[in-house]
Amino acid sequence: MNKINIIGLDSIKTELIKKIMDLGVVEISSQDTKLTDSEWITYVKKDGNENVVFNLDVKISQINEVLNTLEMYDTSKRPLFSTRKTISSSEFIKALEENDSVSEDAAKVLELNKSLNELCSEQNKIEAAILSLKPWSRYDIPLNMTETKNTSIIIGAIPNIIEIDEIKSRLLQTTDRCFMNLIDNDKDQYYCSFICLTEEKEDILEFLKQYGFSAVTFKELSGTAAENIIQYENSLKEISAKKETIDNSITELVSFKEEIQLYHDQLIIERDKNKILNNMLKTDTTFYIEGWIPEVSKENVQGVLDEYECWYDIKQPEEGEEFPVLMNNNSFVQPFEAITELYSLPSSSNIDPTVFMAPFYCIFFGLMLADIGYGAVMSILCFLVLKKFKPEGGMQKLLKVFFYCGISTAFWGVMFGSMFGDAISAAAKLLFNSDFTIKPLWLNPMEEPMTLLIFSFIFGVIHLFTGMAVNAYMLIRDGRKLDAVFDIGFWYGFIIGIALWLFGNIIIPGSDIVGRWMTIVFGIGLVLTQGRAKTNVISKLVSGVLSLYDITGYLSDILSYSRLLALGLATGVVSSVVSILGSMGGRNILGILLFVVAMAIGHSFNFAINALGAFVHAARLQYVEFFGKFYEGGGEAFNPLIKKTKYYKIIKEDI
Amino acid sequence: MNILTNGNFLAILGASVAALAGIGSAIGVGIAGSAAAGVVAEDPKKFGSTLILQALPGTQGIYGLLIAFIILNKIGLLGGSMTELTAAQGGFFLAAALPIGIVGIISAIHQGKVAATGIMLVGKRPEEIAKAMVYAAMVETYAVLALLISFLMINGIAV
Repeated sequence: MNKINIIGLDSIKTELIKKIMDLGVVEISSQDTKLTDSEWITYVKKDGNENVVFNLDVKISQINEVLNTLEMYDTSKRPLFSTRKTISSSEFIKALEENDSVSEDAAKVLELNKSLNELCSEQNKIEAAILSLKPWSRYDIPLNMTETKNTSIIIGAIPNIIEIDEIKSRLLQTTDRCFMNLIDNDKDQYYCSFICLTEEKEDILEFLKQYGFSAVTFKELSGTAAENIIQYENSLKEISAKKETIDNSITELVSFKEEIQLYHDQLIIERDKNKILNNMLKTDTTFYIEGWIPEVSKENVQGVLDEYECWYDIKQPEEGEEFPVLMNNNSFVQPFEAITELYSLPSSSNIDPTVFMAPFYCIFFGLMLADIGYGAVMSILCFLVLKKFKPEGGMQKLLKVFFYCGISTAFWGVMFGSMFGDAISAAAKLLFNSDFTIKPLWLNPMEEPMTLLIFSFIFGVIHLFTGMAVNAYMLIRDGRKLDAVFDIGFWYGFIIGIALWLFGNIIIPGSDIVGRWMTIVFGIGLVLTQGRAKTNVISKLVSGVLSLYDITGYLSDILSYSRLLALGLATGVVSSVVSILGSMGGRNILGILLFVVAMAIGHSFNFAINALGAFVHAARLQYVEFFGKFYEGGGEAFNPLIKKTKYYKIIKEDI
Repeated sequence: MNILTNGNFLAILGASVAALAGIGSAIGVGIAGSAAAGVVAEDPKKFGSTLILQALPGTQGIYGLLIAFIILNKIGLLGGSMTELTAAQGGFFLAAALPIGIVGIISAIHQGKVAATGIMLVGKRPEEIAKAMVYAAMVETYAVLALLISFLMINGIAV
């Protein structure tokens, strides 16, 4: 990563930014700190116009709403993976010029959507009104009639806790000059009307209050409830007719979706171009850019800058300066960057771990799934999706990772003689009563679990030692050679020594003696060196001795690799359960049908759950055990000025 | 009392104990599932990532099934003709099933809790799903170790 400073004339600024965006390899970093620096502030001020950016953002969010609306009305089938369509830059510009009415179309959709929402809320209002009128549909006095010359009419609801007749008789005890009519009732309330003398109205309301009476008024309505309901229902019909016409007009506009998507992408580019100005400084006639470019793109950028006659300066970052991180790996390792990214990007002083991690990830994933059939299915599926849908970014990387892991899975399937578990043997047994089995190339983990367990630990030790070696490399790179010897070299010796001492005799008789002496020598070495940061002799020794306790950490790290065996066994055993279940029907049509169905369902399930397990645990072995030995994340991703379009991928033409 | 000295009974009891790990998985997947439903209510697009996390505590049940199956296979129950086992042999099977039975239940419940909080994490920061998965996988380590030790013990029992 190189640091770049550019100064140029204001007149070429817009053109240059466009070119830089086309190149897509320059990160323009924010210069806010310079604006507080008194040396700078006398000459320069911040570039950019917040208002322009804001207005574009508003437009973009409107277009997003338009596209969401159209999406709802679009009946065409959506692909499984949504990917950007490719378009050449000249076509892109041409398409936009041809569709100069696109913003009007978008505005139309927006308008239609708005009136649709208004209609919906009106509909809700009317429906609520109908609901409140429903209980009164049998009430035949006009609703706005609440009094005559001498009488008052009260309508309202009473909770049906007490029998209505009871209330009625009690009311008659209070006054005999009141008519009480039960209009309707539902499961909670009675709906009643009362006709009484106006002078007694207050008394009656007071009386009714103790039964929880709540008066209802429909002041704004004339006519009876039933009439009103009919009116409302008519307007509901009108509304739904209106809604339908709007629906149709929006559906017609769906054909403009692609143009609107183009417009959206153009707005995004425009917004980003304006937004980046905020990161630049200017004087009256010049501009100043500071940023980062990857080493490899140096010449391209220089070419453009020379063309526009800018002053520039490209240099290495200073010692200890944080810079954005761009991982740069070969085509096999590159997809595995996705796994690293899921953890955290390397910090600028750290090393990109992907190249060391990729082969282990692939091997461990395969070991834990270990099946020819599963591996083949996985690889073929990933390959087809990659070819057909051409996904981009993280999705593409993950699919490629699974493609490689599928190959590794099939490889270990060959080693362990597993093809959809023991499906082939079960089928042979069921159909032909023969004892056909696939011979494992190496061993059958079900029969020799101990051997595979030991190999799992050996894989683990290799993995951990690789991690430690990377750490040693980084120490040496930073000029701390002795640290590398003491902290890594001695531990290598100590761990190998213990392993030989305990298990060496199994492989090479007599090697346990060597192991014992290695353990002692390197143990003493560790005791003497691990406390070297301390000042006095006693605490040096104490921390040295205590450091031997770290062996438990290494032990638990190594034991953690037993999951390689355990998860592999899980896949195998569930497969054989599926085979046994499938074979239960015996050798007849129904039995064979059962076999096929059980195989299809059982293996889909087993594959899904164990592939997930393999993915998670292979990642865990990298993140916890491997990265723990040398890696620290926390890097900031390289974020160049590029066209971050959503629907169209704009490619440069070769001229 | 006779039945407790019957080797075959003890071996089948062992298989049952191992399969009990499914209790833990059921609880764990349940806890994670209710958290996932909450997150998906806010954003239906997170169904895929939350489902992955919900599935993680399910493995203990599979490990239990695996050990149960190996025991049944070893004593010949699945082949139709059971081997006559001595009380000691049956007891061995029962003892060997204990690690995955017990560790399976407890680890799955706790893994379910971690997965549930992981789902919350994904709800707020969808890009951090790997970290949520690794946290859950940390708990599973002990179920894996229990599975392994149960398996090695059963593998070593002579029938």
